[in-house]
Amino acid sequence: MVVNGKKLNIGYGDHTVVRDMDINIKAGKITSIIGPNGSGKSTVLKALTRLLPYKQGSVFIDGRSLKDYSSKELARNIGVLPQMHSAPPDFRVKELVGYGRMPYQKWYQKNNSEDDKIVDWAMRSTGVWELREKSIHECSGGESQRVWIATVLTQQPEILFLDEPTTYLDIAHQLEMMQLVKKLNKENGIGVVMVLHDLSQALEISDWIVVIKDGKKYDEGKPEDVITPKMMKEVYDVDCDIIHIAGREKPLIAYKEIC
Amino acid sequence: MDSTKKRKVSALRVGTVWLLLAVLLIVLSLTAINVGSAGYSVKQILTALFSSEKSTVKTVVVNLRLPRLILALLIGASLSSSGAILQSVMRNPLADPGTIGVSAGAGTAATTILLLFPQLTGSVPLFAFGGAALACFLIYTMAWKGGVDPTRIILSGVAINSVLGAYNALLQMLHSDSLEGVLAFMNGSLSGRSWSQVHTLMIYAGIGLVLSFLCIKSANTLQLGDEMAKSLGVNVSVTRVLLSAVSAFLAAATVSVAGMIGFVGLVVPHISRILVGSDYKQMLPTSMLMGAVVLLAADTLGRTVVPGMEIPVGIVMSVIGGPFFLYLLRKRGKMIGS
Repeated sequence: MVVNGKKLNIGYGDHTVVRDMDINIKAGKITSIIGPNGSGKSTVLKALTRLLPYKQGSVFIDGRSLKDYSSKELARNIGVLPQMHSAPPDFRVKELVGYGRMPYQKWYQKNNSEDDKIVDWAMRSTGVWELREKSIHECSGGESQRVWIATVLTQQPEILFLDEPTTYLDIAHQLEMMQLVKKLNKENGIGVVMVLHDLSQALEISDWIVVIKDGKKYDEGKPEDVITPKMMKEVYDVDCDIIHIAGREKPLIAYKEIC
Repeated sequence: MDSTKKRKVSALRVGTVWLLLAVLLIVLSLTAINVGSAGYSVKQILTALFSSEKSTVKTVVVNLRLPRLILALLIGASLSSSGAILQSVMRNPLADPGTIGVSAGAGTAATTILLLFPQLTGSVPLFAFGGAALACFLIYTMAWKGGVDPTRIILSGVAINSVLGAYNALLQMLHSDSLEGVLAFMNGSLSGRSWSQVHTLMIYAGIGLVLSFLCIKSANTLQLGDEMAKSLGVNVSVTRVLLSAVSAFLAAATVSVAGMIGFVGLVVPHISRILVGSDYKQMLPTSMLMGAVVLLAADTLGRTVVPGMEIPVGIVMSVIGGPFFLYLLRKRGKMIGS
């Protein structure tokens, strides 16, 4: 499955945030969208997933216009974990994950045994199986984020869109989240599109990186080709070196010393 | 982690709550039949009911107390259900049918008829219903901007409510000598209601309550947040409008029969949420049951607490509901769902 955005103009009200954006998401790959705060990363993600209607341009999923998909059909093909989500704190983990089956049901239908199997699978794949009887309130930040991933995974999407999935998590849980993303991509062949703030993580995990600056695409390509001292200076106004270390497949970003 | 454990609601707990409410409902119903300004003994009532002869006791019980009892139950259940659904639509535990203009709309229509067209007084319920529906429609139309979001609904609600409120106040000032009917309507009363109102409300409340049950899944999904609900394939705006329509329908039906009764739709869903959790599968039926119990209790209290005088149920609800709500807020600083 491929997602193509062409000449997208996206914004809120009269305010245009993203201009003339061409973006292509490849099947089965991990794509990261990076850029400074307010550059329009999340806006692009929202437009590609129809959470926000775009003003001009077009989005095609597998060659078919995004506008031609019904809400449920879209939800069966792509899964989106927005930045803002909440559940009543007393909802149980397995119930919440169960909502991921909604795109496959009529409004009056409940989860059947087939649905339950998929819910179980999603909970096992994301490592929240042990938590299934707990309430959301009882889960830690890292745990609840995995529960939400499980919910979206239950939709059985071909591509997962994650909007800053590691924000608010401590470093251990951030890495755990990245490992989970990699695992889902590798073992299940699910494509992933993420908005990421941590460039080291983006560098390490991504197959493809799209850099956005001031609502326009600055560059895209393989991580090593895109994340360069020049890009860091021009996009983030940050000085850094990219260091290769023996025994490590991916390079590291060394920021200039603070003092 | 003690407090968190309490939040997980077991099936046993839900069952216990339902059983308790059912017992309360029966006890209260029997009490409501039994007490009143005409002091009959249980024996008198039973004898009269089971005899084929006509008697005053039988008339009072069958034609006055029984229809009033059924009305109280239906109205309580309807208002609570209406509030519960609206709270999911707004994602706000403070929403009640007044938020979407039901009270103001019905009030405006009733005031207009009672003061300007008194010859149409008999049709007040019909106009109240229409006024409620119209105000609600107006608020949603004004809030619509490629979809509806709670903040815009609440804000246009505030605007419309304020204009209608001003109109009502003006009208009442100009006709300050004939406010009796208006006051009765504004303060929600079940006094002097008969079987014909029961029949009407049974149809409307029946339809509304059945529709409420169909809202359960959608109401739950809306609790996950707009973007999450959208990404699960839910058309959030359409769902909001449909659920609001059910909520408004229920509230408008009760307003047209009994006038404005506040606080039930706000407080009862809240207590239900504390008792059985936020899942509408349990929360909605609990609200209905509890609403019936609470309104019947308030009405029975209102017509017995001061001998020889009736305090309208709307006033009783506000007097008891207000402080009780404050108590809840203080006791549970962070409420589930808030």
